[in-house]
This record gives sequence, structure tokens and C-alpha cells, in this order.
Amino acid sequence: MKKLLGIALALVLVLGMAANASALTVAFSQIGQESDWRTANTDNVCAAIEAQGWELVYADAQQKQENQVQALRSFITQGVDYILFTGVVSSGWDEVLKEVNEAEIPLLLLDRIPDCVDEIEYAAAFGGDFVEEGRRMVRWLANYLEKEGRGDEEINIVMLEGTTGADAQVGRSEGILAELENYPNLKLVAQQTGNFTRAEGQPVMESFLKSVDKIDVLLAQNDDMALGAIDAIKAAGKVPGKDIIVIGCDSVKAAFDAIVAGDMNATIECTPLYADFVVDAINRLEAGEDLGREIIHPDEGCFDAEGGIEYAEGLVSVKAADVIDERVY
Amino acid sequence: MKFSKERILKSKLTWAVIAEALILLVCFCIRPDFFSISYQPSTGMLYGSLIDIVNRSAEITIIAMGMTLVIALGGTDLSVGALVAVAGALALKLLRWDVNEYPTPGDYSVQPFILVLLVPLVVCLLMGLFNGTLIAKFGMQPIIATLVLMVAGRGIAQITTDGKQFTTLFSPFRFIGQGSFLFLPMPIIITIVVVAGVAIFTRKTAFGMFVESVGVNRSASRVSGLRSDRIILIVYALTGLLSGISGLIYSSRISSCDSNNAGLNYEMDAILAVVIGGTNMSGGKFSLAGTVVGSLIIRTIVTFVYYFGVTAESTMAFKAMIIAVVIVLQSEPVRNMMAKRAKSKQNAVRGGVHA
Repeated sequence: MKKLLGIALALVLVLGMAANASALTVAFSQIGQESDWRTANTDNVCAAIEAQGWELVYADAQQKQENQVQALRSFITQGVDYILFTGVVSSGWDEVLKEVNEAEIPLLLLDRIPDCVDEIEYAAAFGGDFVEEGRRMVRWLANYLEKEGRGDEEINIVMLEGTTGADAQVGRSEGILAELENYPNLKLVAQQTGNFTRAEGQPVMESFLKSVDKIDVLLAQNDDMALGAIDAIKAAGKVPGKDIIVIGCDSVKAAFDAIVAGDMNATIECTPLYADFVVDAINRLEAGEDLGREIIHPDEGCFDAEGGIEYAEGLVSVKAADVIDERVY
Repeated sequence: MKFSKERILKSKLTWAVIAEALILLVCFCIRPDFFSISYQPSTGMLYGSLIDIVNRSAEITIIAMGMTLVIALGGTDLSVGALVAVAGALALKLLRWDVNEYPTPGDYSVQPFILVLLVPLVVCLLMGLFNGTLIAKFGMQPIIATLVLMVAGRGIAQITTDGKQFTTLFSPFRFIGQGSFLFLPMPIIITIVVVAGVAIFTRKTAFGMFVESVGVNRSASRVSGLRSDRIILIVYALTGLLSGISGLIYSSRISSCDSNNAGLNYEMDAILAVVIGGTNMSGGKFSLAGTVVGSLIIRTIVTFVYYFGVTAESTMAFKAMIIAVVIVLQSEPVRNMMAKRAKSKQNAVRGGVHA
């Protein structure tokens, strides 16, 4: 019996190795399921890798850095061919990523770029440009006001910020503040964190509505906070989308619903769909190409009720109602 | 009972009320219109910052009612926050059972609607019972026993909704958190009912005394004929049920579920509310009124931060600072000192009269 088991085990091992040899093994160390955006990101990347016939080794870190460090080390021992990596925090990765470098496994940095990026080797880096997203929110607003004939009016803006210190919060705040300098009539009168959640965006907006005398615009650094705030605006007897212009970021499906219903005015896209980039990058790396150290940004849009409003040089917004059915997340 | 000045000054509840009054006074000094309350015809509700404070404190107040009894037993329940997430996830799962067949958030699939409320509540009650069983029957430490569901609960919530955030526009469900009754937001009404219910249950029957007795000395209570096991089971099950109610309010407010963030750190806020309210962590006597004030203090601080634009970076430090001051105000030495001072003053006055 023992012998039989031994033979069976050996067979499995040999077969396993044979399978490894024929197909690429791509390992993906993901943060965990923190939001709809993240779920869409994970599903999209994992499905694409499997669709290529590559073997996927997926590790969910459940928002813990130590889990992720462990996962990376186990990827090294397993001898995977590529490592896709999104770090739950930005610091403390130097050691383990250097180990990855020493094992000479090509590293693809996705979404969140770690602090130690200058000290490590990586094959490619891909992620949203948060600063640009912040700038786009303000540019869309300015052009929308222009179109509505309110271009010279004094506009009071309140801002719901993301989780303090998160990459997306830091970047979007920087972009928004920098771009506001170009429009002296747009005044930021209050800002507070809503932790990227509906549940916190709501009471913060509720307080803004009482402490700020006149609010014309709400800039929410993600759609969830905007959706929470919309209920608070309604509870205050104001009409979101009309009395107060509501702009979100991320472009999740629920935001499209809100735009179609007229509760929200616009959402700047921050796409979680990384599949095309990942597949293309791995194929090019396999062919021996060098992708350089530049961080590659995805092409992203902006969606609103009517469409046709410029939000970046040469780019105009798309009508949300036209593309709502294509949204998967 | 004698309500001497010394007794009042020695009571923790007094200091909790004073702390709350002081915070509100600061708000009033910065902006007098902080206290303005008006009627909002479009929603049929009263509207103002004070209403917000009571309204938004509902989730913690409701959980803290159970937590007060748990702490009076000398225990603690870390799983309440996770149960909030479980209740929300279950409710939304039932509301959007066939999410692919009924893509609009206004639809709902599991009939009748009462199930959407009952199932989460019953599940939370059973989870509370599970906590109680581990503690009463298996003699586990409450922190360890409730840690199980604190960790597992969020996982269960995640699995329930496949890690997704469902949205619902089904108005009967949204009514729980966003509707109104007698000009007040529903969460306030629910809180009043829950607080009154728990108060009657513990103070109009002997149950409250039993809880205190088990909290002071479990074996002595058993020897004197109290079925301490059963009391522990009831208290933890009740806390589970209350977490479920809180979870329904939470998810109804945002018309959605959020397995990661729903009820996050609620166990800490609830314990804090109980402690600020004057119930001792080592068990024994408890004060439900104190807990309500404790919960209001926590929410007042949060509202203060939002209202007066304390920057996001300093919010945490600011909250911690105020809470530290409140706790120090309530500490034994400070209270004794104040009471002693009042007493000596009184004596001095008396002495003056005699002379």
C-alpha cells in the first residue's frame, strides 16, 4: 500500500513538472477583496491568465503584508515564471522584492507602486495615474460650468478625500489642488476624509451641508463616497446633480446608475481591467523585449449625462447611458 | 436612595454627562447655529446637527446595550463588528438573490420581505448563542471565544456576497435607515425601542441583578441557586441579535452591504461607550443610561470633527485626545478629589453657620 502510494506520488510530481515545463506559470499576489474595484481587478487578471492557458498561482493576502511576503517567498520556492504584485501598503517591501530579483523571476508591478521601486529590478509597471485623475475631475468641472454659462461664477467646492495616506488619496488630492490653482473662481471650502466608503461619505457630507453655507460642487475621490453623499444631500432637501454638482472617481456601475438617474454628474474612470496589459506584457517579455522602467498608465475615460465635455487635452467625456450595459463591475 | 451632592459627584454618569455638555458647549461657542433644528418638509424629518448625532450614534448605542450586559458579566464581545457585516451581507443577498435575473437594484427576489429582516437577525442571534456556548459551556475566555467570530464573521459575510457590494433601491428596506417616524429618523426610533426594551428586561425583572451577581462572582451565584450558564447564554445571544439590528440599520443607510468596512472597529467603540458610561470592565454593576451617554459622546466628537473641519490627518489624534480627557475626568482619583472638595466646602459652610 505504502509503495503504491509512493509511486502515485512520484507520478503526480513528474506529471506536474511536465505540465509546468509546457506552460508558463504566472503567480499573482493580490491585496485581498477590499472593494468592488479590487474584485473586478482580480477577476479580470485571473481570467485572462487562465484563458491564455498559463498556469495561475493566486495568493489573496487578506489585506495583510505578512501574508503577502509569505506568498512572494513561496512563489520563489515554487519557481514560477512571472510574478504579478500589488502591495497592500507602500513600504517595507525592499527585502522580499530583492529576493525576487535574486531568484531572477520577472516582476510586474500592478496598480500600487512600492516605495522601494528605485532600488529593485522589475520587468514592467502598470497602474492608474492618480494625480491626472484628480486634475481631470477639476477640468471636467470647469468645462461643464463653462457650458452651463457659469464659467465666471464663484463656485464653492467641498471635497471628500479617500483613506488618508492611500496612494489614490494622495495622488488625487495633489491633482485636484494643483488644477484648482488654474481656476480662481473655484474655491475649495471644506475637505475631510470619507475613507473611500459610502458609510463614511454620508455623515461627512451631512455635516458639510450644515457647516458650509453654500455648496455648489462635491468632489468625491471615489464613487462610493459620492453615492453615500447623494443620500445625505437628498436628506437635506437639496437635489443632487442640480443644486449640488456631484463628481466621483473610479466609474463603477453603481455610479453609472446614479448618473442615468440624474443624481450624479460625472465620474472619472480608474479602470481595474488590467488583463490586456498583463497578457501583452508577458507575451512581449517572452519574446525578449524590454519594456523599460516607465510606469505605464491605462487609457481611461470620463462618463457623464450628456457626453462631449473635455476633461483632458483632446479627450471628451462619453454619455454614461450609452455604455452602462458594458460595465461589468 | 440619598442624592447627596457628594454621591452625585462620585457617580461616573455625572461626569459623562458633564463631558458631553462641555463638548456641546464648545460647539455652541464656535458656532451657535450648531444647535439649530429645523423641519425639513421634503423628507418629513427634523434636521440639525443634534439630530445627526443621535441618529448616527444608533448603531453603536444599540450594540452597546448588549455590550453593557456582557461587560457586567465580566466578559467582552469582540465579534459585534463582524456580525454587523454578516447581517448586512445576508440582507443584501436575500434582496438581490437572482442578481443576474433582476439587474435593477430596485427589484428584490426573496419573498416575503419579512425574511430579509428575519434571516439576518436569527443568524446573528445564533452566532451570539455560539459565543455564549463557548464561554458558558466550554469555559473559554470571552476575548478568545468571541475572537473566533470576529475573524470568521467577515469571511462569512464575504462568502455570502461573493466579495461583492450589492446595491438595493428597494424602499421598504431603505426605510429602516433612511425613513422617518414622528418627524424623527427611523434609527433614532429603533434605538429608543431597543434601549427601552433592554432597560425593562433588566431592571423591571430580576435579570439585571442576576447579571450583576454573575459578574461579581460566578461560582458564588451558582451556589446560591442562579443558573449562571443560562444567563451568560442569554446575554451573548442578545448581543448577537442587537448587532444584527445594528447591521440592518447600517446597510439600509447605505442601501448596500460592505463586508470589509461594515461595523469596522464597532467592538472598540461599543466597549468605549460602556466604559465612558461608568460600567466597570471587571464586571458587576452596570449603567444603561451611562452607556447611552457614552455612545453620544463618541458620536459628538466625530460630528465635531466633520463639522468644524478638523483636517483628515489629525482626526484620529484629536478624537483620542478628547476621549483621554473624558476618561481621566471619570477616573477614581479625580472623582474622589472632586467629591472630597465638595464635602469639605460643605463642611466649611456648615462650620461657618455654627460659628
